[in-house]
Amino acid sequence: MEIYKADVVIVGGGGSGLRAAIAVAESYPSLKIALVSKVYPMRSHTVAAEGGAAGIKRPDDSLDYHFHDTVGGGDWLCEQDVVEYFVKQAPIELTRLEHWGCPWSRTADGHVNVRPFGGMKIERTWFAADKSGFHILHTLFQTSIQFPSIKRFDEYFCIDLLEEDGRVQGVVAIEMATGEFTMIEGKSVILATGGAGRVFRESTLGGIVTGDGMALAFRHGVALRDMEFVQYHPTCMPITGLLFTEACRGEGGYLVNKDGYRYLQDYGLGPLQDKPKNKYMELGPRDRLSQAFWYEQQKGRTIEHPILGSVVHLDMRHLGEAYLHERLPLIYEMAETFMGIDPAKEPIPVRPGVHYTMGGVKVDGKCETSLPGLFAIGECASVGIHGANRLGSNSLTELVVFGKTAGDAALAHAKSVEPGNSASLLKQAQAAEQRVLALKTKTGGTERMSTIRKEMVKSMEDGCGIYRLEETMQQTCDKLSELRERFKNINLDDKTDVWNTDWLYAIELDYQLDVAQSMAHSAVNRKESRGAHQRLDGPDGAYKQRDDVNFLKHSEAYYVPGSAPRIAYGDVKITKSPPAARAYGAAGEKADQERKESHA
Amino acid sequence: MDGWWKKNPYYVEFMVHEATALFVAAYAITLLFGLIRLGQGPEAWNGWLEAMQSPLSIIFHLALLAGFVYHTFTWFKLFPLTTPPIVINGKKLEPCAIVGGGWAAAIGAAVVSFVIVWGIAA
Amino acid sequence: MPEQKIIEIEVLRYLPEADQAPHSEVYKVPFTDDMSVLQGVQYIKDNLDGSLTFRWSCRMAICGSCGMMINGIPKLSCETFIRDYYPKRITVEALANFPIEKDLVVDLSGFIEKLESIQPYIIPKEPRTVEQGEYIQTPAQFAEYIQFTSCINCTLCYAACPQVGLDPDFIGPGAMALLHRYNMDSRDGGQAQRMELVASVEGVYNCGAVGYCSEVCPKKVNPGNAVNINKINAAKDYFLRFLSPKGGAK
Repeated sequence: MEIYKADVVIVGGGGSGLRAAIAVAESYPSLKIALVSKVYPMRSHTVAAEGGAAGIKRPDDSLDYHFHDTVGGGDWLCEQDVVEYFVKQAPIELTRLEHWGCPWSRTADGHVNVRPFGGMKIERTWFAADKSGFHILHTLFQTSIQFPSIKRFDEYFCIDLLEEDGRVQGVVAIEMATGEFTMIEGKSVILATGGAGRVFRESTLGGIVTGDGMALAFRHGVALRDMEFVQYHPTCMPITGLLFTEACRGEGGYLVNKDGYRYLQDYGLGPLQDKPKNKYMELGPRDRLSQAFWYEQQKGRTIEHPILGSVVHLDMRHLGEAYLHERLPLIYEMAETFMGIDPAKEPIPVRPGVHYTMGGVKVDGKCETSLPGLFAIGECASVGIHGANRLGSNSLTELVVFGKTAGDAALAHAKSVEPGNSASLLKQAQAAEQRVLALKTKTGGTERMSTIRKEMVKSMEDGCGIYRLEETMQQTCDKLSELRERFKNINLDDKTDVWNTDWLYAIELDYQLDVAQSMAHSAVNRKESRGAHQRLDGPDGAYKQRDDVNFLKHSEAYYVPGSAPRIAYGDVKITKSPPAARAYGAAGEKADQERKESHA
Repeated sequence: MDGWWKKNPYYVEFMVHEATALFVAAYAITLLFGLIRLGQGPEAWNGWLEAMQSPLSIIFHLALLAGFVYHTFTWFKLFPLTTPPIVINGKKLEPCAIVGGGWAAAIGAAVVSFVIVWGIAA
Repeated sequence: MPEQKIIEIEVLRYLPEADQAPHSEVYKVPFTDDMSVLQGVQYIKDNLDGSLTFRWSCRMAICGSCGMMINGIPKLSCETFIRDYYPKRITVEALANFPIEKDLVVDLSGFIEKLESIQPYIIPKEPRTVEQGEYIQTPAQFAEYIQFTSCINCTLCYAACPQVGLDPDFIGPGAMALLHRYNMDSRDGGQAQRMELVASVEGVYNCGAVGYCSEVCPKKVNPGNAVNINKINAAKDYFLRFLSPKGGAK
């Protein structure tokens, strides 16, 4: 086994991992950083984010506004002290990206421009056309190249954390090109592995979004928090699930049903607006818009397409070809290439698809987990800013704000502890190697991996969709237990060492099953409706309502070997925004007004 | 990499384009030869002019013309690749405009030359 | 349900632990009209042969992972559709001009080294603190470089470039486009440092202006343009040296 001794190990080379690496390298160039990623960093799924990153910019905006939008958008399940920190750091970190070369779109006078986004009171979404994530990722990756202390392990697949003396001291990874194992020692380990949305069938996500870091931490006893909150993005391409950014609506696109009617006005988001108005109509939050689609479908008012299934129309024709090319070039290209539709001439058929996991590895405001030396950032973490529903454009900002925070914290930790006992760590690493090799070399299995994967994603969609019922959620829990058993009986076609993706996908599926179980069990135990977790059941429909008495709490899933996860609950930190009714459109404006008056 | 250019029609076009540069060279040599004959006196010059009017020479010239046109066409096609971006009113000139500009200039130059030669001949 | 048809996909296989040389295998794949070639090879991996190996992720032509030679042309398999080839057979091979590691996976380490060698980051002309806010960039300054920021590092241009095939040390179109992107950025002052590489043996004068790199670029970056503009820039630098002691890069 190869051995590399680093000070800080970062698993995941997307936006947050790169930002953390740069933070460490900038402030302490003599520390050795190992950046481990199963893909070349610029392939990480940050690349696919389209709309932009939130941070106050205009003189009429304020930290308070951003705070209240975020906490209300999260249905009060946010850690409010962390949100306060987040909104304050946001413009600083976004400006830093500008200094590093991020080609943010500009106003005519050369300043960074901002666009409206769902659930945001004031325009505060910094954007680089509709390829914001792409530009952020490439900017960070290219910036990271100037730091010699960042040693990249590109296309290395992480299989386990090394834990000794009650703290994390490194990782074990497979070099994908050879199939050989490497132990990477580190005094601090940062997980930055992204989300887990591929446990669902129709998602906007890339194939790599398999929840690896979540499962790694989970298996070492760290809680996965708020896993039941899975965001459905309201405007996705049917079947493939590819994303049409919220900026389509921010720039003025309409959502219409089969009668050409802008149905959102029927769901507490009205009255009707001609021009995009913040927090009204199409600029409502994602959970509400996806839920409205579901109701339209129930009422038979969606468009029934022979191939695509039930859809509504995203209509941007009135924006004109030139404007669409300037502001939404990728969307234009995708509609033309993948659907044969010219969005300046035809509306685009869309429906909700799984997009984001609000929950993740439980960390404090400094991104540290309950396991000393282990940190988590980005979509794989639950630092507490998204609550029960993430507002669009908060997550790209999260990558840089908490990437920096975790980098600083991991650096401080690495400087404060002694190196571990290499011999004993190696023993652990070799045990992990044997365990993972056994999966590859074993013969006689009868299950096909792709079959288990297909059943898992179908079951998650059935049980943990936009609206949820006790019975179907329980069926999903049962199905996942069954799949866990059947997974033991899989057989791989490929038994070789070099680039064995058959084997790596099996390890990923193993991770996914853990994460899926944490989601389904957290969901069935949350007997209320909040943000992205909406139920239609309970005695007299009691679970249809938010229940602050019993469930203004974070759910925490703990790993139980060989069994379903144990679900516990933790407190929510409230600083200055007591739970209130969550309202948008005219009702929201009225509530805002009342809050202001009561403060005065 | 032997015969790499046969693998793709795009490469073939490139090689034919490069080969048609020889046509230009051939015509230059023909003209140079004419110049030498001119220096050798009226008889030599008239003999060269006569040779130029033979059917074989006309076929040769037509072949060269075809080569030139192809070379010009494919050369202009590469303009968007080789020219620095031209920004007018804060907007980059579209590739088709650059190619079109090339053609407009070439046709313009050809017409002017033709008029001048016609004028001298008349 | 949409009608299901069958297409033959011929894949160039290479399993380094078993094969002396690459060989072809043909698979029969049922498809619907919305299916990409990537979905075709995924079908093979899921249902016919789990050992088939290829890179992919985003499925929307932005991560740059899934480049392949499809009927001899470098393309992103996620945005190339089976319906456009049916009923003819589709051949799928690893990207040209790169060593094959396994099946459709090529060795990208050379490309990554080139990318790292061009100093692809802002070397500030006038350093600025966060408190000073963002740099101001006029629409004209923005237009100078924005096109060259769109490169997704898919390396299709390298597979298209005969010169890369002849001389693997050539910096190549994609990395050169990125170099040019930073040189043209009004925030950057690093041009002089980068020009040495531009004019070097590995630099722009390798290019014979075939132009196929720009033709196959899925993001219309026109990397060949960046290479050719820098032939002029490097020449200018060379001659400026004779005119002024300070003129041109070293």
